[in-house]
Amino acid sequence: MKKLFVGLLILVVFQWLGEWAVRLLGLDIPGQLLGMIFLLILLGLNQSLLPWLETASSQLIRYIALLFVPVTTGAFFLGPEILDQLPQILAVLILSTVLAQWFMALIIKAVRGSDD
Amino acid sequence: MTEIILQQWQLISTTSWPLLLTLAGFAIGWWIYNRSGRISLLHPLMIATPLIYLTMQIIDLDFAAYDAGNGILNWLLGPATVALAVPLSQQMRQLPALFRPLTLALLLGGLFATLSALLLVKLFGLSDIILLSLAAKSVTSPIALSIVQQIGGLAGLLAVATMVTGLTGIVVSKSLFRFTGLEDERWQGLILGVTAHAIGTAKAFESSSRCGAFATLGMGINGILTAIILPASIKLFII
Repeated sequence: MKKLFVGLLILVVFQWLGEWAVRLLGLDIPGQLLGMIFLLILLGLNQSLLPWLETASSQLIRYIALLFVPVTTGAFFLGPEILDQLPQILAVLILSTVLAQWFMALIIKAVRGSDD
Repeated sequence: MTEIILQQWQLISTTSWPLLLTLAGFAIGWWIYNRSGRISLLHPLMIATPLIYLTMQIIDLDFAAYDAGNGILNWLLGPATVALAVPLSQQMRQLPALFRPLTLALLLGGLFATLSALLLVKLFGLSDIILLSLAAKSVTSPIALSIVQQIGGLAGLLAVATMVTGLTGIVVSKSLFRFTGLEDERWQGLILGVTAHAIGTAKAFESSSRCGAFATLGMGINGILTAIILPASIKLFII
């Protein structure tokens, strides 16, 4: 339980650092993402914080679907002008996912072929 | 700094009884999902959200009040995004040996996943707000949400878009890997992570932990790259 709270506190501090740096430097990226990059760099240099972070991070990631319940419920309140375009939206999502997978498979085969 | 902390405290402090509605809906969804043997289409979100919507209609609760009441969950999305650094750093160790093919496939694949969606949105003549909402659809949800809030899309539409993308990704991948003859599970994992984010990564872990490790890597790095590139370049698509 102690590790969970200490871990959460570390994550929150890194989020603050990220948001603070984004404001200070006027960057065009999400603050919490910069916080994640800061933590990634720190963990790459030094792993002493890792044991404190493992519980909090694995629990947050495990229950991430719970955190998304309010946002996803918002989809029911999108209104008719969005819902009218739903068939095209679904087509965009399905087509681009299939194309991207196919494209990646082709690149990997090409790159791997030149390596062997 | 105080301003940032104050803003977050405001988000937490509005938390009230609608949180119970979320917890109850999620508990039911989680239970059904596990009972079903974890069928992707019965994901806890697919069950919880319509249940909550119906309950809100019955008790006459509007979305703004419900959303404010769930402030603490919305707040936790921030730390959850930062938390992604932990599994990612554990997988980054595998990177050097495969650096060249990996970065190339990741960069081009991630770019293509986003660019193809933006071009299709234009091709189908959909509105700009839809373009802004779908732009981050192949990125893992917490990062995608932060991108969409940054560029001004609709969070609710993005949530649906990432779910549809993830589900499509895992349904299609099996026949696609057979069709293209891509048998190496490391590359299969990478593709699942880049194109189908967390849903694809969970699927990759079902194949093997090695496949899952590469999916984690693909998902994480694609998320970072998209978050850096997209907010600065999205304006080019809005005319």
